Amino acid sequence: MDKHPNDNPENYPALGRLFLWVDKPGSANKVFWGLAVFCGLLFLADFSYEKHSHFDVEHLPGFYGIYGFVMFTALILVAKTLRIFIKRPEDFYGDKAIDRETYPEDQLEKVDHDVD
Amino acid sequence: MMSIDQFPTAFLFFAGAFALLVLPKGPVRAALLLAVPILAGLQVWGLELGTFNQVEFFGFTLDLMRVDKLSRVFGLIFCLAAFLGNLYAWHVRDTVQQVAALLYAGSAIGAVFAGDLITLFFYWEGTAIASVFLIWARRTEGAYATGMRYLIIQIGSGVILLAGAALYYRETGSIAFEQMTLGSLATWLIFISFGIKCAFPLLHNWLQDSYPAATVTGTVILSAFTTKLAVYALARGFAGTEILIYIGAIMTLFPIFFAEIENDLRRVLAYSLNNQLGFMVVGIGIGTEMALNGTASHAFAHILYKALLFMSVGAVLFRTGTSKASELGGLYRTMPLTAVFCLVGAASISAFPLFSGFVTKSLILDEAGGQHYPIVWAVLVFASAGVLSHSGIKIPFFTFFAHDSGLRPKEAPTHMLLAMGITAFLCIFIGVYPDPLYALLPYEVEFHPYTMAHVVGQLQLLCFALLAFGVLMRTGIHPPEIRCINLDTDWTYRRFMPIVIGGVSRFLSKAWAAQSSFAQTRIRGVISRLYHSHGPEGRMAQSWPTGSMVIWIAVLLGFTLIVNFLS
Repeated sequence: MDKHPNDNPENYPALGRLFLWVDKPGSANKVFWGLAVFCGLLFLADFSYEKHSHFDVEHLPGFYGIYGFVMFTALILVAKTLRIFIKRPEDFYGDKAIDRETYPEDQLEKVDHDVD
Repeated sequence: MMSIDQFPTAFLFFAGAFALLVLPKGPVRAALLLAVPILAGLQVWGLELGTFNQVEFFGFTLDLMRVDKLSRVFGLIFCLAAFLGNLYAWHVRDTVQQVAALLYAGSAIGAVFAGDLITLFFYWEGTAIASVFLIWARRTEGAYATGMRYLIIQIGSGVILLAGAALYYRETGSIAFEQMTLGSLATWLIFISFGIKCAFPLLHNWLQDSYPAATVTGTVILSAFTTKLAVYALARGFAGTEILIYIGAIMTLFPIFFAEIENDLRRVLAYSLNNQLGFMVVGIGIGTEMALNGTASHAFAHILYKALLFMSVGAVLFRTGTSKASELGGLYRTMPLTAVFCLVGAASISAFPLFSGFVTKSLILDEAGGQHYPIVWAVLVFASAGVLSHSGIKIPFFTFFAHDSGLRPKEAPTHMLLAMGITAFLCIFIGVYPDPLYALLPYEVEFHPYTMAHVVGQLQLLCFALLAFGVLMRTGIHPPEIRCINLDTDWTYRRFMPIVIGGVSRFLSKAWAAQSSFAQTRIRGVISRLYHSHGPEGRMAQSWPTGSMVIWIAVLLGFTLIVNFLS
């Protein structure tokens, strides 16, 4: 499918038009800082209840948050490093591999949204 | 006439597959594909616990229907998965795929209800043979080769199972499929056979190799059965086997790194499937009632949200012709419903509170903590954040949001939306109201997922991980989606072994050629020397006339002698 030549957002489905908010300038910032504030609240929430946990480390305030943040970052960095070693071109296994093939057109229904 | 209650559930699917062939192509067939799993599901729902349908087979008694709470919950979810998969595939008019879908689901259900190892073996191979047609149905050379690799490994698993079963029979005198203890060769063989189908580490790569190669609808169906059948078989045969805890923990861990940098989103989902199996395997390894409940319920929930994710990516592939993250993005504009369903699947697999993964995975996590496996517990919590990274964020974000690919495909067809809608509803329903699922589990459940500590802890884990994603994206550290493939263990049999075998065969053929040319030279030398001495021009030839005369005299004398002797 080619890039759409005469793209008109007014023809999108209603729900799709609603979602267009996410691509407005500044929206990504709002989402990010909104999430940051929510994370702060979750951290504070840790002081509001008594924990009955299996391990001592869970008693640390915000343990899950810190663990999640650190491990997620570590995961991405390790994966990025791993990519250096195992990345190969798509035709590495030759042309008779699905990574090189296009999906058979007759099994698809590639239709643009404004075509009936 | 047998009533339907006494009919093995698997046979309903096989009968359906035969009936399909006489029906005209079109909606009638598609309707039959929906009717069969509904009928089977109702049957399983109404089954009483016990063992039915015993058949004599070469002196063995086969139990075709061993119904207990463990097999029933797997039987039910398999029927549900077959229904949803076939609804998603309503538009397919390819007889091969339709028959394969029924035979495959039927074999998986037959295996779940199998009470002995021989029946299990037959259905085990049945799932292998039926399912490969969902890959070959793509009808490309790449899919053919991939299907071959898949089939060899799957059939191999069955052959190992058969060998194990035979040894097990010699050891114990029984073919009953019950709890086993690892120790003898027999049980190890059976264990490895299950492990191949369950995609244990280093035995896993058939999964990521083959599932992205199947058809749009085929992958959805494949995702439900084979691996969860293996989980069931492990839970039945090896519950409480400690090594499974560590195998499972490794399984949750290593695929998340591969999933993170994989470009084909259906392969990302295959890695993520592998990671989810790890949680179930840990539950089996712990082996307590609560852990096994966790495994069964997580398999149930997992089949639904994994199918939902494969459906949404499949719908994108159906509309755009690609499932590669590097080529997609911004599709929420014109496929908003698919995007929403994908987000529900993503939230479910990430185990956000109010979604299905939360109420099932926490059973396993809690028990890993409760039974005091601190390292395994830490690995599982890390892997939970890892799930979020690829299935929770990567799949929906790089398909439907992120940069605008410029593609403006039409929304998925109605039947696909319906299938995704029902599945999404079930994901939320289980998450909000887990009691009906808990009631289906093998053991009594005394667990409350919605405690303050659970909810806040899980939300912290996920939201801070999301925040980390935000930071990494804003700083440009997050790896971009690029067109490439990554090496995995399939390299050994797609590249390394062919090189080794090719090298050896070249060496052997050269050695053979050298050897035979050496021999030829030698023989030629001998011949020419003989020719030189015995040939027409040779020295020995000088006495030819004398020689032949002597020969003929000898023949005549001999003849005379025989005549004299006889007369």
